[in-house]
Amino acid sequence: MTTTQAQVRPNPLGSRSKSAGLAFLLLVLGVLYLSPLLWMVLTSFKNRVDIFSSTPRLTFAPTLDNYREAFQENGFTTNLLNSGVVALLTTGIALLVGVPAAYQLSRSKSKLGGIYLLGLLAARLLPAMVLSVPLFVLATKLGLSGNYVAVVAAHLTFSIPFTVWMMRSFFLSIPPSLDEAALLDGCGEFGVFFRVVLPLTKGGIAATTVFCLINSWNEFLFALVLTGRDTATLPVAVPTLLTPIGTFWGQIAAVGTVTVLPIALFAFLVQKYIIAGMTGGALSSD
Amino acid sequence: MQSPAFLVLALVVVFPLIYSINLSLRQFSLVIPGRTGQWAGLDNYRRMLHDADFGASLITTLTFVVVAVALEAVLGTSLGILLDRLVRLRRTITSVLLLPMIVTPLIVGLMFNFAFNAQFGYATWALEVLGIETDQGLLNKGSTALAVLIAVDVWEWLPFIALMVMAGLRALPASPFEAASLDGASAMQTYRYVMLPMLKPVIGVAVLFRATEAVREFDKVFVLTGGGPGSSTTVNDLYQYRVSFLNWDLSYGAALGMTTFVAVLAICALVYRVTTRMDARV
Repeated sequence: MTTTQAQVRPNPLGSRSKSAGLAFLLLVLGVLYLSPLLWMVLTSFKNRVDIFSSTPRLTFAPTLDNYREAFQENGFTTNLLNSGVVALLTTGIALLVGVPAAYQLSRSKSKLGGIYLLGLLAARLLPAMVLSVPLFVLATKLGLSGNYVAVVAAHLTFSIPFTVWMMRSFFLSIPPSLDEAALLDGCGEFGVFFRVVLPLTKGGIAATTVFCLINSWNEFLFALVLTGRDTATLPVAVPTLLTPIGTFWGQIAAVGTVTVLPIALFAFLVQKYIIAGMTGGALSSD
Repeated sequence: MQSPAFLVLALVVVFPLIYSINLSLRQFSLVIPGRTGQWAGLDNYRRMLHDADFGASLITTLTFVVVAVALEAVLGTSLGILLDRLVRLRRTITSVLLLPMIVTPLIVGLMFNFAFNAQFGYATWALEVLGIETDQGLLNKGSTALAVLIAVDVWEWLPFIALMVMAGLRALPASPFEAASLDGASAMQTYRYVMLPMLKPVIGVAVLFRATEAVREFDKVFVLTGGGPGSSTTVNDLYQYRVSFLNWDLSYGAALGMTTFVAVLAICALVYRVTTRMDARV
C-alpha cells in the first residue's frame, strides 16, 4: 500500500537520482540537529582549559577525568543506582497492577468502566506540581520522606494511568471471540489471560515497559521534592554541580552523558515500541 | 482484576488530591511558625486574585505555550510531510527525531544553558560569528531568555509533531490522492485540499497533547534560567514551586495547584468539544 501511495502523492523532494546527495544533506542536517547532544558528549571528555575556551574546540586531547571525579569522588554512582532502582520498582508495580486492569477494562462495556477510564485520562492531565504538595506533606508526616517509597508512589501516579490506557488499546485489538473459544476449551479466566491473551500482546507490553522506564528515569520534580541525600536520582543530583562558586560543566557533561546513554540505546534498539508508546498505541502500524 | 490498580490509584492520587483540597482551605506550613493548619476558608483562593506575581506567571505561561506549540505544529507538520517521502531512510530518521524528546528534559535544559553561556557557550559563539549581537548572553536578558526557552522547547518537541504526522500519513488511504491526480490537481492543491484535511485529527490530538504538557513546563526552566532574569521566564509551575518549597507556604501552593488543575481540565474539555464540533461540521 505504501508504494502505491508513494507514486501517487506529490514528491516535494524531486526525483530519485538525487537520492545520494539528499542522503548526505540529511546526514549533515541530522548531525546539526543533534549537535547539542553531541557537544555534551564531546565536552565530557575535555579538560577544563578546553571546556572554557572562548572559541569552541572540536579537537582536543580526550580525558576521563570528568567521569572519574563525578562517579568516583562525588558519589554519582549512588545516584545512578537510585535512578535504576526507582525506575525498575515503578515500572514493575505499574505493570503488575495496570496490565490486568487494562485487560478487564477492554472486555467490559459497563458504564462504571467508562467513568474509570475518564478518571484515568484526568489523572494523566494532572500536573505533577499539583500532587507534589500533598505527597510531600503526607510523606513528611508518615516519615517516608527521603526513602524510595515516596518517590515510587509519586511515579505510579503517572505510570499506572499510562499503562492502563496503553495496554487497553492493545487488548482491544485482540478479538474477544478468542477469549470465548479458550473458555469453551476449558481455560479458566486466569488461564485465558495468562496463556492466551498475554502472549499475543508481547509487543504492547514491551512498548509499555520501555515507556514507563524512560518516564520514571527522566522524572525530575517528584524526585526533587521527595528524595533525600541517599535516594536522590540522577536528575536531582546533577543541578547540585551548578554552585555559587562556579559550575562544573565537565562533570555535568559526564553525568549527563551517562544519564542519556541508556535512553539513546533504547531509541535505536526498540524504536518501534517507543513510537507505539508515544502515539498511545493508536498509530502503531508494525 | 482491576481492583489492585484502583486501590493503588486511590491511595496515591485520589487521597492526596482530597488531602490537598483540605490543605488549601487551611493555613499550613512545616516551617513558618504559627501556621499549624488552622481553618482559613477560602482565604487562599481569594489571595490569588490579588497576587500580581501569579498573574504575571500566567501571562508568561500563556505566551510560552501559545508561541512554542504553534511553532511546533507548523514546523513539525511541514517536516513530517517532507520526511514521509524518504521511505528507505525512515528508520534512521526516526531515531534522530526520537532522541531530543526522550532525552531527560533536565539534561536538555543544562545542555542549552551551557550552549548559551555568555563567555564560552558555542551557541553564543556561533551567533556572534553570524554577526548577531548577544550583549551579555541571551539568557541574561528578559525578552531573549524567554525566546531561548521557546526555541529549546521547539527543538525538543517539533519531532513529536513530525513523527505523529508521519505515522498519520502512513495510515491514509491512497484513493483520494489518486482521484486528485486524475483530476489534475497541482502538488500544492493536493496538500492544501486533500492531505491537510485528512491529517487534521492527528495534528489536533498532537497539539492538544503538547499544550497540556507545555502548561506544566518546569524542568527545563529550572536549570536554564531559574525563572529569571527578574521574573521574565517564571512560568506557572516554577512560581508554584517557589511558593510551596522555597517560601514553604504549602497551603497557598495547594490552592494554586488545585486552581491550575481545574483550569487545565476545563480548557481540555472545551478544546475537545470545539474540535469535535468542527469535525462534525466539515
